[in-house]
Amino acid sequence: MTGRDVCIIAGGMSRWGIREASLVDMAQEVAKDCFDDIPALKRKDVDGFLFASSFCGRIAFQVNIAQVIAERIGIKPTNMCTRVDTLCAGGSSGIILATGLIRSGMADIVMVAGGEKLYTPQRWETYYSQIASEDHDWDGAQGIGLPLPWFAMTSQAHMKLYGTKKEQLAAVSVKNRRNAANNPTAHFQKAVTLDEVMAARPIVPPLSLFDCCPVTDGCAAVILTHADKARELTDRPLVYIRGTAQVALHSMSMNWPGEHPADWPHLRAAAKSAYETAGIGPGNIDVAMTHDCFTISEIIEMEELGFCKKGEGGPFVESGQSDFGGKIPVNTDGGLLACGHPFGGTGIRQAHEILQQLQGRAINQVEGAKIGLTHNLSGLNAEHTILIYAREP
Amino acid sequence: MPLPGVPILEDKYPSTMDPYPLEAKEFNRIHQFYENLRRKRFTTTKCKKCGHVPFPPRVICPECNSEDLEWVDLPTRGKVLYFTEEVAGVPLGFDSPLIHALIDLGEGRNLLSRIINCKQGQLKEGDKVQLAVFDVPPMIIEVKGAIKEEKRVFFAFEPVKK
Repeated sequence: MTGRDVCIIAGGMSRWGIREASLVDMAQEVAKDCFDDIPALKRKDVDGFLFASSFCGRIAFQVNIAQVIAERIGIKPTNMCTRVDTLCAGGSSGIILATGLIRSGMADIVMVAGGEKLYTPQRWETYYSQIASEDHDWDGAQGIGLPLPWFAMTSQAHMKLYGTKKEQLAAVSVKNRRNAANNPTAHFQKAVTLDEVMAARPIVPPLSLFDCCPVTDGCAAVILTHADKARELTDRPLVYIRGTAQVALHSMSMNWPGEHPADWPHLRAAAKSAYETAGIGPGNIDVAMTHDCFTISEIIEMEELGFCKKGEGGPFVESGQSDFGGKIPVNTDGGLLACGHPFGGTGIRQAHEILQQLQGRAINQVEGAKIGLTHNLSGLNAEHTILIYAREP
Repeated sequence: MPLPGVPILEDKYPSTMDPYPLEAKEFNRIHQFYENLRRKRFTTTKCKKCGHVPFPPRVICPECNSEDLEWVDLPTRGKVLYFTEEVAGVPLGFDSPLIHALIDLGEGRNLLSRIINCKQGQLKEGDKVQLAVFDVPPMIIEVKGAIKEEKRVFFAFEPVKK
């Protein structure tokens, strides 16, 4: 790839959960944490700012929010300041766009932040607003908000075709909730047992409470710059943006590209493209953060990202292959299931965790991790976004 | 006890809170879809130039850019491939269990739709379902200070009586 090598050099998080704070408040918290992470960086040197949020226009009643937040956090971007919205992948889209700005020389130091304030004073409005998530006139009017029915059908298809069991779905939740037990920013910081997961109340059968990520308030932030500037600003090991891909089809329940709901050819296409741009294969990934909005998602992602064969995702997670000591530790900070999923913030939280992993300072460290992958699916699972981070450019 | 709400919005129609499409011709170039629906026809647009038949309907052909489109009928009966019964987290305005099905309409076309007139536990994979059209609350349009109520319909599918 031509242009400058791009590095992620700092990350900031604050508590995720049901927050007694506004979106603009939480953005200030994570910007502070991010600047604290890289003391040599001065606010005046940040020349680009991307803020990923989908629901700010609806729930915070605020459009043009990147400018509002830039002023609050004390930066004056001279090259680019804008909001990014690709729902669940907004944060990762922001990091890909920042990479392009820096690689091309259009900007030098870009902060990518994002997140959502989803809890409203009356809870009905939180759930009601979610019918804006898919194609409003076709899916919203059918009562499809965040796509639980679609992922329940996806689970049924995977169970029917590959013999996947409810216990295997539950294994994902047990692992991710345990990984978050010592993560001070996670929404849920308590491990759950297999029995608790299996006995939980149904939401959309076969999915029950612990199969679904929660509704969460939260923000996250990272800083990207080119390698020369990164060496000036930090003595930590450099972490490069090594590969990117995004395959986007639509945002609705119609026109599904697969043979059945558990067949995700657009994720396979995105993975192929990301591995090619990074010049590696799935066997080279040391740690991955994949989009576990539902337990079934993580199982199918193991298959379509090439970590195991198609149909073997259930046994793969159940036998600990996606856990520490297995083939590829996945969602080492708790993932969406435990950290929560404030849409625009999620890709940035994942990047923050991969940065920490590749610099050897993660809370749950994968020993010697050199290459990391993040993945998001968006909307009605019609869009897949992947980033590959590595210690070498 | 009724809550005070937002006093300035009392007796107002906030279209940004409306779960149904703004179907009226003043706001929607595929208004005809809803007019057809009112007559129990389930339709989409076909490009007269290249023959492409996408769903949902378009105002421009996404294959060849033609604006010369015609309305054609889609099947109104199909077969349930997968279905779900949502028992928690159902959005305001929908009852629990909220039932959805992935329906094979034939002609290589699948559709995800709400299933109505169906009890929990009643639906089975492979069941036949048919189009069901129902009235939804009108949208309100202000024309030169006068208020016009635009009647609306929407659709779901329902089990075919055996």
